[in-house]
Amino acid sequence: MLRISLMAAALFGLNMFAGAAAQATEVKQVFDFYCAQCHGTDGKGGGVNVTKDIATTPRDFTNKVDMAKRTDDDIRTVIKGGGPSISKSALMPPWGKTISDADVELLVTYIRAFAK
Amino acid sequence: MRRLAVSAFLGVAFLAMAASPAFAAGDAVFKDKNCSSCHYTTGPAQEKSIADQLAKKGPELWYAGSKFKKTWLLAWLQDPKPIRPMKYNSITAKNGGDHPKLSAVDAAGVTDFLMGLTSADVEAGLITPKYKPKAKLIFNKKMPCLGCHKSPDKKGNVSGGLSGPSLVGASKRLNPDWIYAYLSKTTTFKPYRDMPDFASYLSESKMKLLAAYVANFK
Ligand code: HEC
Ligand code: HEC
Repeated sequence: MLRISLMAAALFGLNMFAGAAAQATEVKQVFDFYCAQCHGTDGKGGGVNVTKDIATTPRDFTNKVDMAKRTDDDIRTVIKGGGPSISKSALMPPWGKTISDADVELLVTYIRAFAK
Repeated sequence: MRRLAVSAFLGVAFLAMAASPAFAAGDAVFKDKNCSSCHYTTGPAQEKSIADQLAKKGPELWYAGSKFKKTWLLAWLQDPKPIRPMKYNSITAKNGGDHPKLSAVDAAGVTDFLMGLTSADVEAGLITPKYKPKAKLIFNKKMPCLGCHKSPDKKGNVSGGLSGPSLVGASKRLNPDWIYAYLSKTTTFKPYRDMPDFASYLSESKMKLLAAYVANFK
């Protein structure tokens, strides 16, 4: 992984490498800050808020079968508009006014990567 | 630069508080006891990124006088029971309940100091604490509030998630008008917070209903 990055850096120039790395760190930070409290940093849906008091457990992002049923647009919509926007639980909050559109796009890719 | 801002702020505060030597004494205790190593007391909000928020060791207190009820603050500083179920800024470690304690005399001074730090963004007299079934429905079912906050029902049974501060006892701890301001003017108090901005998902009247409901929690 590191070797590939280094090669990429050598090939495409250090600036681009630094840019991509910064973006990767940033989206992890965004996910861990806003999403992981319920979805867990590992995306499995076992965040700290998932207790016996919670009626619906969050989706397991590492479940390939479940995730294949969702389009990127579903994921984008539910992040921005909350559970009810795709007829799911209102426990999933609407983040559209909190997380920028650009970060939502990065999150869609980041969430997809859990099931790869 | 920071020191300059602090003294400029103190200058203004001293003018406003000229009649209150307790404010100055409390400010001195606050610095002496190292409270400022974890809490900043000059507004407006200083966080410019998630990283800034995560770097903080304790909540900002620059609007403490608008947020807290004085009697609660005075008592809590002497006997600081955990408010957030989790350690500050953590979603894995529990709150260790190890907040520094103050003597009665020091707590009185610090209370005067902190209650003098107010925000013009909190409008007074808007919210009266009230239990309404409709508000409970929004808090528990229509919106995800319960998912992140502990709250009591009418019988005193507590339920809810752990990432947000516990709202049990909010009637004793929080100024009802601050709760409304916090819900409706998100970025004023917390430019980066792991609670969503609900301002465009809830009408003003529902927001007021919710604030009144939270403000009634025993
Ligand atoms: C090591 C860092 C640290 C120090 C030093 C510290 N605090 Fe705190 N303070 C915290 C944390 C963390 C919390 C959140 C506690 C909780 O939720 O239970 C907190 C909470 C508070 C609160 C309630 C704020 C809120 O929004 O809930 C007040 C008031 C307060 N501290 C005042 C003080 C005073 C006065 C001192 C000095 C005697 C002090 N603190 C020293 C870390 C610190
Ligand atoms: C995704 C989790 C989450 C959801 C959903 C959520 N909150 Fe919060 N809430 C938080 C967090 C985290 C904080 C503390 C932010 C900080 O201090 O940095 C907070 C803070 C608060 C506070 C201030 C408490 C204090 O002592 O500082 C109130 C009041 C509040 N929330 C009410 C609500 C209401 C009402 C709703 C539903 C409309 C709600 N919250 C939904 C996570 C959440």
